[in-house]
Amino acid sequence: MSSWLDYTINGLIVGNVYALVAVGLALIFGVSRLINFAQGSIYLVGAYIGWVAVVQLHTPLPLTIIVVAATAAVVGLIIERFGLRPLQNSVRIAPLLATIGISFVLDQLVMLTFSPNPRALPSQLPDVRFQLGGGTIGPLDLLIAGVGISSALLLFVFLRYSKLGWAVRAASQDRDAAMQMGVDVNRVNQAVFGIAAALGGVSGMLVGMYYNQIDTAMSLQATLKGVVAEVVGGAGNVPGAVIGSLLLGLVESYGVAVFGTSYRNLFAFLLLVVVLVLRPNGLFASARQAPPEPLTGTFIAPSRPVRIPRWVLAVAAAGFAVLPLFPVSFYVLQTLINAWLLGMLALSLTLVAGTMGQVSLGHAALLAIGAYTSALLSLTLNVPVGLAVIGGGLVSAALGTLLISPSFRLRGHYVSIATLAIGEIVSLVILNWESVTRGPIGISGIPPLSLFGYDLISPSSVYWFSLAVMVVLALLQGRLLTSHLGRSFRAIRDDDIAARAYGLSLNRYKSLAFIFGGFAAGVSGGIAAHLYSYINHETFNTQQSILALTVVILGGLGNVVGAIVGSVALVGLPEVFRIAAEYRILIYGIVLLLLVRFRPQGLLGTI
Amino acid sequence: MSNIDRRTLVRGSLAAVVAGAAFSRAALAQSSEPILLGVSGPLTGPNAQYGAQWKQGFDLALDEIHAAGGINGRKLAYQFEDSQSDPRQSVAIAQKFVSDPRIVMELGDFSSPASMAASPIYQRGGLVQFGFTNSHPDFTKGGDFMWSTSVSQADEQPLLAAYAVKRLGLKKLAVLHLNTDWGRTSRDYFVKAAKEYGAEIAVTEGYIAEERDFRSTLVRVRDANPDGLILISYYSDGALIARQARQVGLKQTICAASSVYSPKFLELGGEAVEDVHLGTRYFPEDPRSEVKKFIAGFKAKYNGQEPDAFNAYSYDAMNMAAAVLKIGGTDRRAIRDAFAKVKDVSSVIFGSATFDVESRRVKGAMNAELVVRKGQFALWDGKPT
Repeated sequence: MSSWLDYTINGLIVGNVYALVAVGLALIFGVSRLINFAQGSIYLVGAYIGWVAVVQLHTPLPLTIIVVAATAAVVGLIIERFGLRPLQNSVRIAPLLATIGISFVLDQLVMLTFSPNPRALPSQLPDVRFQLGGGTIGPLDLLIAGVGISSALLLFVFLRYSKLGWAVRAASQDRDAAMQMGVDVNRVNQAVFGIAAALGGVSGMLVGMYYNQIDTAMSLQATLKGVVAEVVGGAGNVPGAVIGSLLLGLVESYGVAVFGTSYRNLFAFLLLVVVLVLRPNGLFASARQAPPEPLTGTFIAPSRPVRIPRWVLAVAAAGFAVLPLFPVSFYVLQTLINAWLLGMLALSLTLVAGTMGQVSLGHAALLAIGAYTSALLSLTLNVPVGLAVIGGGLVSAALGTLLISPSFRLRGHYVSIATLAIGEIVSLVILNWESVTRGPIGISGIPPLSLFGYDLISPSSVYWFSLAVMVVLALLQGRLLTSHLGRSFRAIRDDDIAARAYGLSLNRYKSLAFIFGGFAAGVSGGIAAHLYSYINHETFNTQQSILALTVVILGGLGNVVGAIVGSVALVGLPEVFRIAAEYRILIYGIVLLLLVRFRPQGLLGTI
Repeated sequence: MSNIDRRTLVRGSLAAVVAGAAFSRAALAQSSEPILLGVSGPLTGPNAQYGAQWKQGFDLALDEIHAAGGINGRKLAYQFEDSQSDPRQSVAIAQKFVSDPRIVMELGDFSSPASMAASPIYQRGGLVQFGFTNSHPDFTKGGDFMWSTSVSQADEQPLLAAYAVKRLGLKKLAVLHLNTDWGRTSRDYFVKAAKEYGAEIAVTEGYIAEERDFRSTLVRVRDANPDGLILISYYSDGALIARQARQVGLKQTICAASSVYSPKFLELGGEAVEDVHLGTRYFPEDPRSEVKKFIAGFKAKYNGQEPDAFNAYSYDAMNMAAAVLKIGGTDRRAIRDAFAKVKDVSSVIFGSATFDVESRRVKGAMNAELVVRKGQFALWDGKPT
């Protein structure tokens, strides 16, 4: 029995840590309806500023906190002013992509300045421990809890009773109306970003002290857990974020207690999916709250797509098809193979995210399902590779649609968060379901691609094969978009209530989109498995999902040609920047930001 | 500067591009040009710290190789391509290296997915893929161009088990391991050996690499009531576990795999890692001459910084590459064959390293039993803690 007390205490302690990030995310979401993926990076910056203050300048704790909060707030203000404000009047999805780009840039800057080696961040509090249950807690636990709860309370009071707080709430309910009432919306946004960033920075420093360890990989994890906690609590609800964090900590701790450590995150993400299915606005969203996204399609704004004449496309396709006949290096071919594989994934995502409006952040899961299915079919059942890849596509279509179906009733950002969770769940199931997937050891010795008994191993043949598959999928998708199905998809995206009024069954059409998209992504994963010959649970990770979304937004949502152009660009750019060595991801992030800034509707525009 | 730096390399490759066909292969092979190795590894992304450590070890080894006259009079250099440990990028890098005639062999990658995805390309392209941190049991099964000096876990884990069970007298063990291919393989070898030595395994817990909070895991460990904790961890997570174990009041003996051997383990773990036992391949007061030379050289080159396990792996790997090139010259196939011929190469990890031609790995890593005393790694004096 005493163990359960310990599990509870531990859950609350770690929930405490999550709360620090979640509160900042909730504040920003409350005002700008934006999931700020850069919050984890500000947390990282805060941790390293804290390190400089403590280890180099030997500042006392109160001064350290002030220094960190002030620096982080300045970073937040810069992000708001130069990263997000210019995007105010563009597509709703552009700021989301901008925060991803900003987080690349910040993480890389920290890594280049401080080196990627982990550092110790010593706690400046006296080292006393209080016995609690079977374990102990220290003064830092209390300080973290104090900062989390008091900042939530302060923000609650600020939002409810101060004039600027009213302005913040007014702006969050209706930006245009607030402006007409004389609220300076930009000042409000600035205030919110400054506060959230200060909080994020301080939390990074405190968590660093808590573990006596900071490193540059901490930012993505912080963002992931913070987002889960925030959405569980009800996005945009500050006290809800604290309770959501504690709940998340408890569920993880009990999950470890019952099933073991390697199931921990599985429970975190299952909790998220369950909460979203039962209460799509989070646990503590009030019923009176306005719907999280406008009902009509401003989340994905239509723009005038760039019309590319067919003969240009045909010439381009022919040009790429004959490329291996010229003396190009295998490196160029391999890079293009990667682009074609990513292109298939992007086709899939541009259909469900762009045409259908279901912005998925867990698309790598479809790759993984396709890859594992195809690898296992060919290895254990000796299915010919060509058929196994198709099998991978079919299973990915079926299983993917089934897994994602709980999120069909969600809208806007919530779809992204739910799919993010589903993606993580798939990866964790692959890790833990050892009898089938061989767990962390992975699957090795996957046979190379072959077609009708001929092995495709030379780079040119793999190139032609993947190009051909991608072109066929692209043509099918192009046909789909011009059919009545495509029109129905777009109708649902643009106004689901009107679409329903016209008798369209939303779930059926969403399923159709995911079936088609799941097939394309599964085939891409299957080909990758045979190309790599070895896969494990890390091969298809969250970064791939984020990359795919970046490609799709860059190319123009729903735009088939755009998805392919985007894939070539985002596979090609990091390769071109190789010459810059450690700086290449930084440059990539900056280029991404510039593209979002000047072409928020994507290179070729939304269809 | 003995190692050619990035900028020279960039300028060099730009010049090569501009000159294009004017450069014949023969011209490149002139003895004034350094012999070029390709390195595929993480310089950015979540594993960037290991790529940075590799570089330190490589550069030190290159200094020494050049001071000793280079490779039959020619200099040696490497071209480090950042893969972020991502298989998509490591396969592109593999094609890049395979199609670049200046590259005579490849070192890396870091993670198994990235390394083994690239193996088919190296194998078909006929370029040696020399993976010096690749402990995955199937890595060298990728083909006869895959060679590895990574310490086989089949060798290392029984040594650790012997330390914990026979020497320290632990009878009931809790094993915490990274849930990666390395951690999982290691755990299986450890559990097998520990059972053979008569210990009971009370509980095993696998955790993912990003995990930071181990308190609940440690409650499970406590409830299993072991008399010792075994950490199959890297230094950063190992330090976290040790700290949290002490915080939740676990006072059992902790015994860790050699991968925690790093000054960072002491820095990050602080007082909590005091009395932690670990097996290592070398240690600071090691009387072996190759170790003395390595540690003294490293400290001199990097402002007194202590080298760690990953520095030693990459230092050894570069020395091994040099030894192989001295026999094999610059022909890619001859280099592969030279791996089988090279004998008794001086090595920090192995003492002297010779490949087992069957498995294409090196057997018989050195072993020392250390304990953390007063915040320093020290040879274990046989006293219980």
